[in-house]
Amino acid sequence: MKNILKILRTEKGWSQAALAEKLDVSRQSINAIETGKYDPSLPLAFAVARLFGRPIEEIFDDEVELAHAAE
Amino acid sequence: MSQRGFRTAKRRYHYLFWPLMGVYTVLVFATSFLVDTNTAPTWLKITSALAVTLPLFGVLYAMRRQTEETDEYTRMRQLQAMRDGGLITAACAFLVGFLQIFEVLDVISVFWFGPLFFITYGLSFCTQNFGKVV
Repeated sequence: MKNILKILRTEKGWSQAALAEKLDVSRQSINAIETGKYDPSLPLAFAVARLFGRPIEEIFDDEVELAHAAE
Repeated sequence: MSQRGFRTAKRRYHYLFWPLMGVYTVLVFATSFLVDTNTAPTWLKITSALAVTLPLFGVLYAMRRQTEETDEYTRMRQLQAMRDGGLITAACAFLVGFLQIFEVLDVISVFWFGPLFFITYGLSFCTQNFGKVV
Protein backbone atom coordinates (compact mmCIF):
# COMPACT_ATOMS: atom_id res chain seq x y z
CA MET A 1 0.00 0.00 0.00
CA LYS A 2 1.36 3.39 -0.97
CA ASN A 3 1.29 6.22 1.54
CA ILE A 4 2.45 9.78 2.08
CA LEU A 5 3.63 9.26 5.64
CA LYS A 6 7.20 10.30 4.87
CA ILE A 7 6.02 13.55 3.26
CA LEU A 8 3.75 14.37 6.20
CA ARG A 9 6.49 13.55 8.68
CA THR A 10 9.13 15.68 6.98
CA GLU A 11 6.64 18.55 6.67
CA LYS A 12 6.40 18.51 10.45
CA GLY A 13 10.18 18.27 10.75
CA TRP A 14 9.98 15.04 12.71
CA SER A 15 12.49 12.22 12.55
CA GLN A 16 11.33 8.62 12.25
CA ALA A 17 12.22 8.15 15.91
CA ALA A 18 10.13 11.18 16.94
CA LEU A 19 7.10 9.95 15.03
CA ALA A 20 7.59 6.46 16.44
CA GLU A 21 7.58 7.91 19.94
CA LYS A 22 4.36 9.83 19.30
CA LEU A 23 2.66 6.67 18.02
CA ASP A 24 4.34 4.42 20.62
CA VAL A 25 5.74 2.05 18.02
CA SER A 26 9.32 1.16 17.10
CA ARG A 27 11.30 3.30 14.67
CA GLN A 28 11.58 0.26 12.42
CA SER A 29 7.76 0.22 12.22
CA ILE A 30 7.72 3.75 10.82
CA ASN A 31 10.41 2.89 8.30
CA ALA A 32 8.59 -0.26 7.22
CA ILE A 33 5.32 1.66 6.72
CA GLU A 34 7.00 4.52 4.85
CA THR A 35 8.77 2.15 2.48
CA GLY A 36 5.60 0.15 1.87
CA LYS A 37 7.13 -2.96 3.37
CA TYR A 38 4.43 -3.19 6.00
CA ASP A 39 0.77 -2.16 5.98
CA PRO A 40 -0.42 -0.88 9.36
CA SER A 41 -3.51 -2.27 11.09
CA LEU A 42 -6.67 -0.15 11.19
CA PRO A 43 -6.06 1.08 14.77
CA LEU A 44 -2.54 2.23 13.84
CA ALA A 45 -3.74 3.79 10.59
CA PHE A 46 -6.40 5.68 12.56
CA ALA A 47 -3.77 6.82 15.06
CA VAL A 48 -1.61 8.12 12.18
CA ALA A 49 -4.61 9.90 10.65
CA ARG A 50 -5.53 11.50 13.98
CA LEU A 51 -1.94 12.62 14.57
CA PHE A 52 -1.74 14.42 11.22
CA GLY A 53 -5.38 15.57 11.27
CA ARG A 54 -6.20 13.99 7.92
CA PRO A 55 -8.54 11.23 6.76
CA ILE A 56 -7.01 7.77 6.40
CA GLU A 57 -7.63 7.59 2.64
CA GLU A 58 -5.65 10.78 2.16
CA ILE A 59 -2.60 9.19 3.79
CA PHE A 60 -2.91 5.58 2.63
CA ASP A 61 -3.70 4.65 -0.96
CA ASP A 62 -4.75 1.10 -1.74
CA GLU A 63 -5.66 1.72 -5.40
CA VAL A 64 -2.77 -0.40 -6.68
CA GLU A 65 -3.86 -3.38 -4.56
CA LEU A 66 -7.52 -2.90 -5.47
CA ALA A 67 -6.58 -2.95 -9.16
CA HIS A 68 -4.76 -6.25 -8.64
CA ALA A 69 -7.74 -7.68 -6.77
CA ALA A 70 -10.12 -6.70 -9.58
CA GLU A 71 -8.02 -8.50 -12.22
CA MET B 1 -4.25 -9.79 23.57
CA SER B 2 -3.40 -6.63 25.51
CA GLN B 3 -1.27 -4.29 23.47
CA ARG B 4 0.42 -1.64 25.61
CA GLY B 5 2.73 -0.04 23.09
CA PHE B 6 6.37 -0.45 22.17
CA ARG B 7 7.97 1.51 25.01
CA THR B 8 5.87 0.09 27.85
CA ALA B 9 6.30 -3.45 26.56
CA LYS B 10 10.06 -2.98 26.24
CA ARG B 11 10.33 -1.52 29.75
CA ARG B 12 8.24 -4.29 31.31
CA TYR B 13 10.32 -6.90 29.46
CA HIS B 14 13.62 -5.51 30.73
CA TYR B 15 12.30 -5.19 34.31
CA LEU B 16 11.59 -8.90 34.29
CA PHE B 17 14.37 -10.20 32.03
CA TRP B 18 17.49 -8.79 33.72
CA PRO B 19 16.69 -9.73 37.36
CA LEU B 20 15.75 -13.23 36.21
CA MET B 21 18.98 -13.58 34.24
CA GLY B 22 20.88 -12.38 37.31
CA VAL B 23 19.20 -15.04 39.46
CA TYR B 24 19.85 -17.65 36.74
CA THR B 25 23.57 -16.79 36.58
CA VAL B 26 23.93 -16.97 40.37
CA LEU B 27 22.08 -20.31 40.49
CA VAL B 28 24.16 -21.81 37.68
CA PHE B 29 27.38 -20.97 39.51
CA ALA B 30 25.99 -21.97 42.92
CA THR B 31 24.69 -25.35 41.78
CA SER B 32 27.84 -26.11 39.79
CA PHE B 33 29.87 -25.62 42.97
CA LEU B 34 27.43 -27.26 45.38
CA VAL B 35 26.24 -30.28 43.41
CA ASP B 36 28.74 -33.02 42.79
CA THR B 37 27.09 -35.17 40.13
CA ASN B 38 28.90 -38.27 41.36
CA THR B 39 27.99 -38.05 45.02
CA ALA B 40 24.94 -35.76 45.35
CA PRO B 41 21.62 -37.44 46.16
CA THR B 42 18.96 -37.52 43.44
CA TRP B 43 16.62 -35.17 45.31
CA LEU B 44 19.36 -32.52 45.38
CA LYS B 45 20.05 -32.94 41.67
CA ILE B 46 16.34 -32.60 40.84
CA THR B 47 15.93 -29.60 43.11
CA SER B 48 18.98 -27.93 41.61
CA ALA B 49 17.80 -28.58 38.05
CA LEU B 50 14.37 -27.13 38.87
CA ALA B 51 15.87 -24.13 40.65
CA VAL B 52 18.08 -23.28 37.67
CA THR B 53 15.26 -23.81 35.19
CA LEU B 54 12.65 -21.69 36.99
CA PRO B 55 14.22 -18.31 36.08
CA LEU B 56 14.36 -19.50 32.46
CA PHE B 57 10.62 -20.22 32.59
CA GLY B 58 10.26 -16.64 33.80
CA VAL B 59 12.28 -15.37 30.84
CA LEU B 60 10.10 -17.36 28.45
CA TYR B 61 7.04 -15.79 30.10
CA ALA B 62 8.61 -12.34 29.67
CA MET B 63 9.16 -13.08 25.97
CA ARG B 64 5.57 -14.20 25.57
CA ARG B 65 4.24 -11.14 27.40
CA GLN B 66 6.36 -8.75 25.37
CA THR B 67 5.17 -10.37 22.16
CA GLU B 68 1.60 -9.69 23.25
CA GLU B 69 2.17 -6.16 24.48
CA THR B 70 4.50 -4.62 21.92
CA ASP B 71 3.50 -2.82 18.72
CA GLU B 72 2.20 -4.84 15.79
CA TYR B 73 5.26 -4.63 13.51
CA THR B 74 7.69 -5.62 16.26
CA ARG B 75 5.34 -8.47 17.20
CA MET B 76 5.32 -9.69 13.60
CA ARG B 77 9.13 -9.61 13.43
CA GLN B 78 9.47 -11.43 16.75
CA LEU B 79 7.00 -14.12 15.76
CA GLN B 80 8.79 -14.62 12.44
CA ALA B 81 12.08 -14.98 14.32
CA MET B 82 10.52 -17.44 16.79
CA ARG B 83 9.12 -19.40 13.85
CA ASP B 84 12.57 -19.60 12.24
CA GLY B 85 14.24 -20.49 15.53
CA GLY B 86 11.62 -23.14 16.31
CA LEU B 87 11.76 -24.73 12.86
CA ILE B 88 15.57 -24.80 12.70
CA THR B 89 15.74 -26.27 16.22
CA ALA B 90 13.13 -28.92 15.35
CA ALA B 91 14.99 -29.77 12.14
CA CYS B 92 18.27 -30.13 14.04
CA ALA B 93 16.56 -32.26 16.71
CA PHE B 94 15.25 -34.63 14.02
CA LEU B 95 18.62 -34.78 12.25
CA VAL B 96 20.56 -35.44 15.44
CA GLY B 97 17.92 -37.96 16.54
CA PHE B 98 18.18 -39.97 13.33
CA LEU B 99 21.98 -39.76 13.33
CA GLN B 100 21.86 -41.27 16.82
CA ILE B 101 19.38 -43.97 15.79
CA PHE B 102 21.71 -44.96 12.93
CA GLU B 103 24.60 -44.84 15.40
CA VAL B 104 26.54 -42.19 13.50
CA LEU B 105 26.53 -39.88 16.52
CA ASP B 106 27.04 -40.62 20.16
CA VAL B 107 24.66 -39.13 22.70
CA ILE B 108 24.47 -35.34 22.49
CA SER B 109 23.06 -33.46 25.47
CA VAL B 110 19.47 -32.30 24.87
CA PHE B 111 20.44 -29.18 26.82
CA TRP B 112 22.02 -27.64 23.72
CA PHE B 113 18.72 -27.39 21.84
CA GLY B 114 17.67 -24.57 24.17
CA PRO B 115 20.64 -22.33 23.33
CA LEU B 116 20.28 -23.37 19.67
CA PHE B 117 16.71 -22.01 19.65
CA PHE B 118 17.73 -18.71 21.24
CA ILE B 119 20.72 -18.28 18.90
CA THR B 120 18.69 -18.99 15.75
CA TYR B 121 15.85 -16.81 17.05
CA GLY B 122 18.25 -13.94 17.68
CA LEU B 123 20.04 -14.35 14.35
CA SER B 124 16.74 -14.47 12.47
CA PHE B 125 15.48 -11.34 14.23
CA CYS B 126 18.71 -9.44 13.50
CA THR B 127 19.00 -10.51 9.87
CA GLN B 128 15.37 -9.89 8.79
CA ASN B 129 16.33 -6.46 7.52
CA PHE B 130 19.88 -7.36 6.55
CA GLY B 131 21.09 -5.24 3.66
CA LYS B 132 18.13 -2.86 3.91
CA VAL B 133 18.11 0.64 5.38
CA VAL B 134 16.04 0.45 8.54
